[in-house]
This record gives sequence, C-alpha cells and structure tokens, in this order.
Amino acid sequence: MYGGGNIFDEIKPDDVAGEDSIKLAEFEARIDRGEKIEPTDWMPKLYRKQLIRMIEQHAHSEIIGALPEGTWITRAPGFKRKMALMAKVQDEVGHGQLLYSAAETLGKSREQMIDDLINGKSKYSNVFNYPTFTWADCCFISWLVDAGAIVNQLANAKGSYGPYCRALERICAEESFHLKYGHHCVIYLASGTQKQRDMFQEAIYRWWPPMMHFFGPSDKISVHTEILMKWKVKMDTNDNMRNQFLDMYVPKIWELGFTIPDPKLKKNTATGRWEYTEPDWDEFKRVINGGGPCNKERLEVRRIAEERGRWVREALRAPKTEYITPLA
Amino acid sequence: MKSLDPRVNRLPLTGNTSPKVLLDQFGTFEVFVQAKAGKPFQHEGVVHAPNLEMSYLLAKETFTRRFTCVSIYVVDTRNVHVSVLTEDEDNAYNHVTEVASSGNKVSFEIFHLFKRGKQHQHAGTVEASNPNEALWLASKQLKTEKQVFNIWAIHTDDIRFTHQDDLDLWHTLPDKKFRDAAAYKGGDKLKSFLEELKK
Ligand SMILES: [Fe+2]
Ligand SMILES: [Fe+2]
Ligand SMILES: [Fe+2]
Repeated sequence: MYGGGNIFDEIKPDDVAGEDSIKLAEFEARIDRGEKIEPTDWMPKLYRKQLIRMIEQHAHSEIIGALPEGTWITRAPGFKRKMALMAKVQDEVGHGQLLYSAAETLGKSREQMIDDLINGKSKYSNVFNYPTFTWADCCFISWLVDAGAIVNQLANAKGSYGPYCRALERICAEESFHLKYGHHCVIYLASGTQKQRDMFQEAIYRWWPPMMHFFGPSDKISVHTEILMKWKVKMDTNDNMRNQFLDMYVPKIWELGFTIPDPKLKKNTATGRWEYTEPDWDEFKRVINGGGPCNKERLEVRRIAEERGRWVREALRAPKTEYITPLA
Repeated sequence: MKSLDPRVNRLPLTGNTSPKVLLDQFGTFEVFVQAKAGKPFQHEGVVHAPNLEMSYLLAKETFTRRFTCVSIYVVDTRNVHVSVLTEDEDNAYNHVTEVASSGNKVSFEIFHLFKRGKQHQHAGTVEASNPNEALWLASKQLKTEKQVFNIWAIHTDDIRFTHQDDLDLWHTLPDKKFRDAAAYKGGDKLKSFLEELKK
C-alpha cells in the first residue's frame, strides 16, 4: 500500500463535542499508554469514521495497485521474473483481503466497500492512476512505490487500532520480499545494456512526480489532522514521511547513476531535511478527482471483474451462511 | 477503451454494466494457525466464504503462502462464544459465573487473549454441556496466574481441522523460494557494477 496520501474528511471543531467526556478521556489515556483499541471498545464516532476511511482506502489501493503490475506478468522478462511478479501481485491482493477484514471490524461491510470503490465514491492511492508503459515502469513500482508504501505501513503498524496493526504486521513481513525483488530488478536494468538503462531512466522521469505526490499534500496545505495524530490514526505528517522516503532512497537511485528530474533536490545538511521543487498539487487534485490517465480504466476493470464473477458468487451462495462482522 | 493492458483490450468493456445486487456476501469465518508443531494455535484473521470447506481453502491461500505454519483450522464466526473484553488488572475470568450442567457434555476449545492488541491463543479443551458452562469449567481447569483479557469458547465439532491428507497442501512451500526476499540478492552484481561505474 499506498498511502500517506490518505484523504481524510475535513474535521470540524464540534466533531467530538457530542462525545461522553469521561469515556473520551479513558480512550485517550489508553492510547497514551500505548495500548491498542479493539473493536468492542468504546471509541469516538470520529475515530471510527476516519479509521474506516483510511483502512478502506488502503485496502482499495492494494487491489487497484495490483493492476498496473499485474498487466506485466505475461510480459515479464523470463520465467523467474514472471513467477516473482505473480507472487508479488498475489500478495498485494492478499493485503487487500486482510485490510478489508480489519475495516469490517469497525462496522462497514466488505460489500459496501467494494460498491463504494466501483461507484467511485471511495478513493485509492493516486499513484495507480498512471500507466505502466514499459517493464521499467513496472520495476519502478515494485521497488520505489513499494518502498514508499513500506515507510507508511511501518509507521501505521504502530497505530492505535488493534486489527489494523495486526494486519499490517503480516503485510510488512511480505513487503520485504517486494522491496528486495524490486531492487533486484532495477539493479539488473541499471547494469544492463544502454537500452535497459535508458528504459529505467525514462521510467524515473515519468514516475517521479506521482512518487512525490504519493505521501499526500504538503503539510502547509493539507487538512488539519492533529486530533488523528493524537489518536494514533495518522502516525506522522505527509512531509515527514516524504522526507524519510527521500532520505532512504534518493541516495540509492543516485548510486546507480540515474538522474532524478528535480534540479532543486538536495539534502540540507544543516536541517537534515530534503529540499525539492514543490510538487504540483493541482495535478494531484485533478487526478484524484478522476482526471488521471488511468482512473477510468482502473474502475472499469474492477466493474467488469465484479460483473463477470457474479454468476460464480451466485452459484456459490449458500443460505446457511451469513455475513457478520469479524471478531478481531 | 484502448488500454496498455492486453487483457483489458480483450475484455468486452461496454461501459454500462448492470447494477450490482446488494448483499450477496458470503459468511464470515475465523482462521487459526499453528506456526510450529507443538505450539498452540493462534487466531490470525478472517475469510469470507460460502461454506466451511471453502473457508478452509481460502484461509490456506490467505494466511499460509509462505512457510509459516504446519496446520490451520477454521470456524464459522457465529460459532465463537465470546466473553467480555477486560482491561488493566481485571481478568476476564472474574466475569465468568457458575453455570450448571444442562445435559450431554461435548468438547469445547478454549482460547485466551493474554495481551490487548495481540491474538487469541488456544489454551485447552473442556467438556461442557453449553458454551457458558465451558467458560466456567475453563476458569477451574485452564486459568493460570497469567492475566486473560478475553476468552473464546468454540464447540470442537464446529471446527474444520486440518486432516492427515490435507498436510500435502504445504509440501511444495519450501520450493517456492521466489516468494522470499532471500532469493533476491543483488549485492554482488551491484558492487561490481558500481566499481565499473567509477572507472
Ligand atoms: Fe501491499
Ligand atoms: Fe505495492
Ligand atoms: Fe507490496
């Protein structure tokens, strides 16, 4: 996954005004002690709402994120790469399964989430609204988009909601394979022929802007999330996550002799922070609102999958079973 | 729609799929995994499936793609009897009250939550005539000094266990090295490439 760029609902000052102040204080004290909140515990409505939103977006991002890479399975160079990519894509879909279940414990059914995705009501990570033209684009995702996801997921795994943290623990363990595999692919392109190097260089040119968007709008312009940070729903600011990613991966990209298309990109040795050209946030908003190159196709593929699989689900439907909220 | 994805181009994309019927969801099943022989089973998560047998297969796909388990079992969530969830020093067993036996005894599997935020672990089996009696008997037979925050009781016959002839499900796992980070060592290639680059 995918998503420091989580889009939270705007929080109004009276959103917690109606809550029982004693229960709220107990809830906050539990989080301060580092304890987890479990599905049957009391929680503020705002906590539930924003968590559902965040975990659901994360789940959709795994499912939609499987598409731009999945398209390269049949064309991956050689048997080993095909096997690896197939395993990775299967993992991503599995992550979606774990995350949907975690969101379900908060009371939103899986079907409602799938419906909201298909109808365009729910968001997913913006980065997957861009096309993978070449194998190198696919490698960029496997290595660097997953790297960004890991920065985010490792932070979120220390959050306050038990079921989400447990899902993330499993997910993070599998991500180490994704990251190593992605880096392996890129090392082979970098040390390959001039044509292979050019392919990856061009992929960097295409993917750098969406990668910078990945962690979400700059703190200067993003919605106020202090209360979500206090409740350990959001674990760090977008800019801090972005900085951490740059710190870990820009040197690795440069080391391979590639150019990053941002003349201002450099680490300020005095502050320890990375400096860069401000990403184009209007473009980010345009794409997240449906205007990106692949938004339509991504949802259409999900819709078709849902329609074509319907007869299978109908055939399997058993009146003896019943959907209920998972326990933990 | 013209796509870069050859599979998408093969799809009959009409742009007007018929509306989806709501609530065609499957049932919910809880999944337990045993990491190593002799270790207790631990709750891992859920799957949705049309029946218990399918839930077993989906659990295998979802939770055991890598070499992390020797056995799994699944149970319909509706068949899990759940105690209160407690906090601080309050033991969940403090809330279990004596229940008289009400007829035929059957086996119940008991699970303990030792730490909030962690997962339930199998504690043992009791013979009881109903789930509440099972909790009561567990408080006599399975309770230790260890703090327990939540207890689950599941009628043993409701569980779909791993059978002897299911064990080969995991036989090929050690061959699937391509699923592990360790199979992607690029260090040497990177090193020689960087030396080349310096020249
Ligand atoms: Fe993932
Ligand atoms: Fe990914
Ligand atoms: Fe991944």
